[in-house]
Amino acid sequence: MISESVSRRRVLFAVAAAPLAVACTAEPPTPPPPDPLSALAAQARADAALAKTLTTVPAAAEIAKARETHAGLLQAEVDRERPPLSSTAPPAPTTPPTPPDPLAALRTALDDAVRDASAVVAQLPTYRAGLVGSVAAGCASLREVLA
Amino acid sequence: MNNVDAVQTALGTEHAALWTYGMVSAFLGNQAAAVAEGANAHRARRDTTERWLRDKGATPNPPAAAYLPPSPVSDGPSALAALVAVEQDTCAAWRGVLERTDEAALRTSALDALTTAAVRATRWRKAAGTTPASITMPGVASG
Repeated sequence: MISESVSRRRVLFAVAAAPLAVACTAEPPTPPPPDPLSALAAQARADAALAKTLTTVPAAAEIAKARETHAGLLQAEVDRERPPLSSTAPPAPTTPPTPPDPLAALRTALDDAVRDASAVVAQLPTYRAGLVGSVAAGCASLREVLA
Repeated sequence: MNNVDAVQTALGTEHAALWTYGMVSAFLGNQAAAVAEGANAHRARRDTTERWLRDKGATPNPPAAAYLPPSPVSDGPSALAALVAVEQDTCAAWRGVLERTDEAALRTSALDALTTAAVRATRWRKAAGTTPASITMPGVASG
């Protein structure tokens, strides 16, 4: 009787443990591709940092503030979909050197921002398309301020 | 709201924009070229939007006889305010379309409508001396 009960327990254990063993030996899943919004958030942070150094451009403060808002909204969506493992904030971009022609640099940065955000909209699920569409339009609006 | 309803809403803002551009033109003689440019853009957008709806088997909603601007228009500054308001309404409606369609061509068209309306709203805010002239998140009520 005793030997029979032990053997049944062993069988049950083996059945229960089998999927566990499979789970342990399975190939680790490949990491998901980077979130396209993450690059847009980084771009927004870099633009804000650039605008902050350009004190000679009258609209620079307005642009810095708007791009910081964009960075915050985009990063919040990135973190919502894929919560960060630690609560560390993304690294602040290093202060870029002041370009020779600040106004031209800012215009180029905003043109790039409109183009990149617009390109990303095409491949997003609907619930993200509105957010990124507004960021693209917001960058076009900032570009118009510098026109 | 499905994407046909969202496009009907956007068409409604295009009708309102076109009507508003016509109404304010008397007060913005010094900006006639920009007013004409905005009216032409909304007319073209209205036409493509009506065509899209017909292609989907829907009947495009007709324009209203008149539209009520948020505040009465009686001079240049109030005319500029009416243009800013109608462009911002347009932004919100097209953002609504973006949030409801996976159709690539419609999404491209909605993004273009949202972006160009945001640029015109910014231009009119600049003309009115509004600060900041830019709109951080066009199509969002608080933006």
